[in-house]
Amino acid sequence: MAISTATKAATDALAANPAPVSVGAQEVHRWMQSFTWDFDKNRTKYSTKYKMANDTKEQFKLIAKEYARMESVKDERQFGSLQDVLTRVDAANRVHPKWNESMKVISNFLEVGEYNAIAATGMLWDSATAPEQKNGYLGQVLDEIRHTNQCAYINYYFAKQGQDAAGHNDARRTRAIGPLWKGMKRVFSDGFISGDAVECSINLQLVGEACFTNPLIVAVTEWASANGDEMTPTVFLSIETDELRHMANGYQTVVSIANDEAASKYLNTDLNNAFWTQQKYFTPVLGMMFEYGSHFKVEPWVKTWNRWVYEDWGGIWIGRLGKYGVESPRSLRDAKKDAYWAHHDLFLIAYALWPTGFFRLSLPTQEEAEWYEANYPGWYDMYGKVYDEWRARGCEDPSSGFLPIQWFIENNHPIYIDRVSQVPFCPSYCKGESTLRVLEYNGKKHSFSDQWGERMWLSEPERYECQNIFEQYEGRELSEVIAEGFGVRSDGKTLISQPHTNKDGKLWTLDDIKKINCVFSDPLKAL
Amino acid sequence: MSIEVNGGRRGLTDPEIAAVIMAAVPDKPLETQRKMNYFMKPRGKRINEYEVLCCYSQPTPDWIPGGLDWGDWTQKFHGGRPSWSNESTEMRSSDWLAHRDPAFRWHALYVKDKAEEWRYTDRFLKAYSADGHVRSIDPVWRDEVLGDYLGAFGFYEYGLFNSHSSVVRDCLGDTLRMSSAMIGLDKVDNAQMIQAERTFLSKLVPGFPESTDIPKQEWTKGAIFKGARELVQDIWQATYDWNEILFSGHMICDPIFGQFVRREFFMRLSSYYGDNLTPFFINQMQLYFSQTKGITTDMFHTCLGADVEFGDYNNRLMRAWANKWLPRTVNALKDFMAIYATIPEIKGVSDKAAIEAALVRVFADWKRDFADPINYKVDTAALVKTVLSGLK
Ligand SMILES: [Fe+2]
Ligand SMILES: [Fe+2]
Repeated sequence: MAISTATKAATDALAANPAPVSVGAQEVHRWMQSFTWDFDKNRTKYSTKYKMANDTKEQFKLIAKEYARMESVKDERQFGSLQDVLTRVDAANRVHPKWNESMKVISNFLEVGEYNAIAATGMLWDSATAPEQKNGYLGQVLDEIRHTNQCAYINYYFAKQGQDAAGHNDARRTRAIGPLWKGMKRVFSDGFISGDAVECSINLQLVGEACFTNPLIVAVTEWASANGDEMTPTVFLSIETDELRHMANGYQTVVSIANDEAASKYLNTDLNNAFWTQQKYFTPVLGMMFEYGSHFKVEPWVKTWNRWVYEDWGGIWIGRLGKYGVESPRSLRDAKKDAYWAHHDLFLIAYALWPTGFFRLSLPTQEEAEWYEANYPGWYDMYGKVYDEWRARGCEDPSSGFLPIQWFIENNHPIYIDRVSQVPFCPSYCKGESTLRVLEYNGKKHSFSDQWGERMWLSEPERYECQNIFEQYEGRELSEVIAEGFGVRSDGKTLISQPHTNKDGKLWTLDDIKKINCVFSDPLKAL
Repeated sequence: MSIEVNGGRRGLTDPEIAAVIMAAVPDKPLETQRKMNYFMKPRGKRINEYEVLCCYSQPTPDWIPGGLDWGDWTQKFHGGRPSWSNESTEMRSSDWLAHRDPAFRWHALYVKDKAEEWRYTDRFLKAYSADGHVRSIDPVWRDEVLGDYLGAFGFYEYGLFNSHSSVVRDCLGDTLRMSSAMIGLDKVDNAQMIQAERTFLSKLVPGFPESTDIPKQEWTKGAIFKGARELVQDIWQATYDWNEILFSGHMICDPIFGQFVRREFFMRLSSYYGDNLTPFFINQMQLYFSQTKGITTDMFHTCLGADVEFGDYNNRLMRAWANKWLPRTVNALKDFMAIYATIPEIKGVSDKAAIEAALVRVFADWKRDFADPINYKVDTAALVKTVLSGLK
């Protein structure tokens, strides 16, 4: 159209229709796919054996400003509740002490996952070629910053308002001491960011988010509220509102590679490895946090697991991807067996190593023991009676000179650490599926607890070289290790971790530990 | 009572459950240190909320300076490359976690600002359209400059946006990572605002093309943006060092080329051509520019350039990077000079003297804010002369 005609048309159009006009987010988004251009060096910095299609779309159609609007509305609600009514009713001091302790771990460890998901989705933003797909991952980058800050806010809030700030106030410094940390890093840190970009997406989005986010973020809110905690549901449910887009990103990742020949060769193996990697840690750890880290119980973990992991994810979600050749992971059946006993096995070890934590743990009470036995027949004979013995020997009392780890040593039940998952296990005293396998490589011994991890290691040992806590601390005395890792409270001597949450119970100090003279040794050296 | 509670009973409000909980809660708090991250060194007098919520969220091993964690990575890339490593950049730091956004914006504060900008944009556009402002825009300026060249400039912003993806993956600190994602999002926001303006114009001016086809043609094939395109492509895809990506983009290219194009070309000239719409959007971009400048000068000057151990080395490296990227940026601007031949000249506004004055402003600002702090010697008059040689 000639220029002068256009000006006239604009004038006429205005005269005919003077209604105010604006521009909507989707009107901008629909041009997004054309924002990129071809040039020689246009390729990702992170290699993948798959090829992501150039025309992949995303369904949420957000632009930067609309994203910000949506999130800030949710933030107003969430932080408003926390700062207003929940503070006024002193909600943080109306939480069961056992749950106060669990949130030290849950919120901080989830924060690690959220944080690493920032980097992970940065890598996917780089790897994707379609601008819409990049945009979907970009939205997730920002979300994961949000979630990192939100998880932090829980610890920040509990520290400021709650009944025991120690651990909430310094989890980022003290979390590295204990036996649960390295396994956490495998699933929530390195598993998301180090490897083939699509493999990382499968770990993060297809398994981490689509499979374990439900139990982690939704179930945790039910356990929280049963135990008096309304802060966690306020924050975690707000996190969950972003997760739908993340699962869609994972779905789109699969769609974008579906027509690539590599997918038929590798996708199911990558999915199987990712599923096993994630479940190996989360199945026992989540079950343990819920059941042993609460007073009031919502339902047995095995039921939650079967519903969300086995049926919803393994059945429905993976089923939806069936048309792209995705199959339910072969390791799902082994995982299902672990969902029954693995968390009980892990708590036995975690409690035995309580001084290395940044939280207080508690032995099951009489009524809890009955609940365990009713839901997991055979529980008492394996675990309950051991806890009774530990209690009788004074494991909660600082003057007893007894740490439950001594029981493992006296009874010749060595605790090993699986090299690939970094999860501790005791092959001679467990009801779960763990069995000991030891392999040697480059003059170093490695222990494994299952065939799936062992296979991953056998094909790529250079990816799993990380030393474990027994190798790291070998020959060092326990109180020294705790002090070096800042595991003490502000009085400079009382431990952050404690073997009980009794309000009248005595608290252990560094000196109480030192007197016992517990020295770390590497069980692999004894083999 | 039973310890299994069903039916959504809540411990805070269910009297029976609450009684059990309250009996177990200690009579007074067990710990007096209630400040999260109390162990860290704050940037200001006290640890602020941003520092509480962001700092040390990254599990960094202590062999990456500043980290609190220990040991190796639990899973590595195929072949054994580590998750994060000091080798990902030539820069050296005694504390990779030292950076702070000077505005201390964590996620909620960042999106709150942008949400307000969006709501205001919507209200502004409605008022602008109802008021009929669009009638006063010079047709050449509107159809050629805004239609083609502003659209083409959107690709510049989009390309720089994408240069942040590998930075977000690779950088070595938590505050660095969050800042990089935010300044990256601002860049795609710029590209989207440009498209929003073009879509808006197409609604008001029948026949005004909304499509990105012609701008893309201009960006990929035209002479005006040739230097800029090659520069952006290399920052985005040919540079692997995450610090060099940020430095070349935000300390050289954008404060010179981006500033000239946004501030001295589109913003300054638009009102002379009756265009009060473009300045509305460019002003937002300039806000982002100044916030980004706060962030990247904190990274490169306050932290790396002043590092007690590596400051001298880092400044030397930044000067070497400036040597590499400055001539290319000057060349991009020289190519851009051809744009003046496409608009009707206004004496004292878009003639050679006015262009020269604009260039002098941009280079003087750059010298003061970016070159002097790293002790980079530069003859800005010579650079202005080189750029002016591109005038047709
Ligand atoms: Fe998240
Ligand atoms: Fe997520």
